[in-house]
Amino acid sequence: MAIVTEYYLLLSAAVFCIGVYGILTRSNALIFLMSVELMLNAANINLVAFSFHHGNLTGQVFSLFTMAIAAAEVAVGIGIILVLYRNFQDVDVTKAATMRW
Amino acid sequence: MTSRPRLATDVNVVNGLAAVALFVVMGYVFVTASLPAPSGFPDGSITASIGYAMFGLVDQAAIESEGFLVAFEIIDVLLVAALVGAVMLARREEDSGVVTALTDGGRRIRDRNDSADDDAETDGGEN
Repeated sequence: MAIVTEYYLLLSAAVFCIGVYGILTRSNALIFLMSVELMLNAANINLVAFSFHHGNLTGQVFSLFTMAIAAAEVAVGIGIILVLYRNFQDVDVTKAATMRW
Repeated sequence: MTSRPRLATDVNVVNGLAAVALFVVMGYVFVTASLPAPSGFPDGSITASIGYAMFGLVDQAAIESEGFLVAFEIIDVLLVAALVGAVMLARREEDSGVVTALTDGGRRIRDRNDSADDDAETDGGEN
């Protein structure tokens, strides 16, 4: 007995909205990275769920590539946060208000 | 000073209501959507089929899929670029001040910067 696709969509929406909540309420750059990761993984849940829904593996393979892109994004993001901390002694994104200082 | 995790009390809950509203809208749409029953996968190894799809050997795969060989190679280049970019960003210049890993969340250095009386002292790395 397979789980109907709507429940996967609901789970994905919940995970995505937790990510949006984190982005909107916090100002810590590391929390931002985690929230973006949650949103990416919500998209992955959708891809895998519809892969099962249609009986086609394309979605599952695509979610693997999404994870690889997420890893690349986190690598660059942590580098940026490192530079942010070095320049402002803080990872608060609201403090970095100028491009040059 | 220790830096154990604390519950954040400075959150902007009013902005967060937008996320909750988004969940309500999306949940309403998904619950009221009438999707057909999932068809599921045919018999055969899913893992092996994913492997075949990733390398473009879709004619050998048990489960239908598209070929992803080009995407696989492009992701390879992307990961290398991200790695080089991360190293370039993280590499510090010779005359920068802080030299140790900031295992205390940087509080010590921030406090020192706030007091700002002895900038000449470099961080000894005793943590």
